Amino acid sequence: MSGPRAAGIYSGLLRFYPRRFRDEYGVDMALIFAEQLRDEPTGRVWARGVVDLAITIPARHLEARMDRPPNPTVAVVFAAISVSGLVLGIIGGSSLGMLGFGLAVAVVAGGLAVAAWRNTRAVSVARPATERWWQVLLVGVIVLATTIIVVNVVGEVSDGLWLPMVLTLLAGVVTTAAGLILSIVHLIENRPRRVPG
Amino acid sequence: MPRLVKPLPSASLHIVLALLDGEAHGYALIGRVAELSDGAVRMGAGTLYGTLNRLVSDGLIEETTTRVPRDDSERRRYYELTGTGRAVAVDEVVRLQGLVHRIAAHLPGGATA
Repeated sequence: MSGPRAAGIYSGLLRFYPRRFRDEYGVDMALIFAEQLRDEPTGRVWARGVVDLAITIPARHLEARMDRPPNPTVAVVFAAISVSGLVLGIIGGSSLGMLGFGLAVAVVAGGLAVAAWRNTRAVSVARPATERWWQVLLVGVIVLATTIIVVNVVGEVSDGLWLPMVLTLLAGVVTTAAGLILSIVHLIENRPRRVPG
Repeated sequence: MPRLVKPLPSASLHIVLALLDGEAHGYALIGRVAELSDGAVRMGAGTLYGTLNRLVSDGLIEETTTRVPRDDSERRRYYELTGTGRAVAVDEVVRLQGLVHRIAAHLPGGATA
């Protein structure tokens, strides 16, 4: 079998590798195979090449599956449970027990949703704080809304709860304001710039 | 990056040891590995690039293809050890020296290494 033809067949066999691996290294692998054909007996190169393909193709597919980011469905399901808990707390707000249960479900499921969502990201990239503006704003709004709902449900706040309630409300206002400021800074930093010339 | 505690797998070990000599492209690496192992290890391209891919991901080697202009008509990718990779390779050499020394001490006839 001629060298170019053998190299062509080998290149065809490389199609059995996962696409990403093939796109990254396929050309280099074909080049190496051609160089081996040039320097060594054809039979030996083929024998080694076939064994190598038989072992490494399944291995690369297995690695590709293991590297695949987890399905975001889990995060979406927990987010839905969290929202349902919040809705339940608001609708059944006349009962303190129902409100507490709803908020507890919202907080726990929300935490699990965030954890699951973070797990779906393959690589954690350091980002400027201004890119997190919406998260800060969301937390601020949730804290504010929760505090207002609780105050409305409880009616008259006892002396012991007054200070924590005011501090929570204050924290909600500050966090919301911080989120708004970060969003403005983010908009300024990311505004379209005119390229000179 | 933390040092690897476990010994490197065979293919990774041979490649990092081969790269102690300096940067190399894939075909040269196969040759160096064969030379280092006295012809016992002849890597196929699939094994080579699968291992290189993992070593790059682990931060032990890096691609240097575009770092310097090359007098190379064909498109070849060059690799070299990172600082961590060099430290790991040296650790492996020390580990293997210790292994050989201890085994030699237990062989009939006493320590010869």
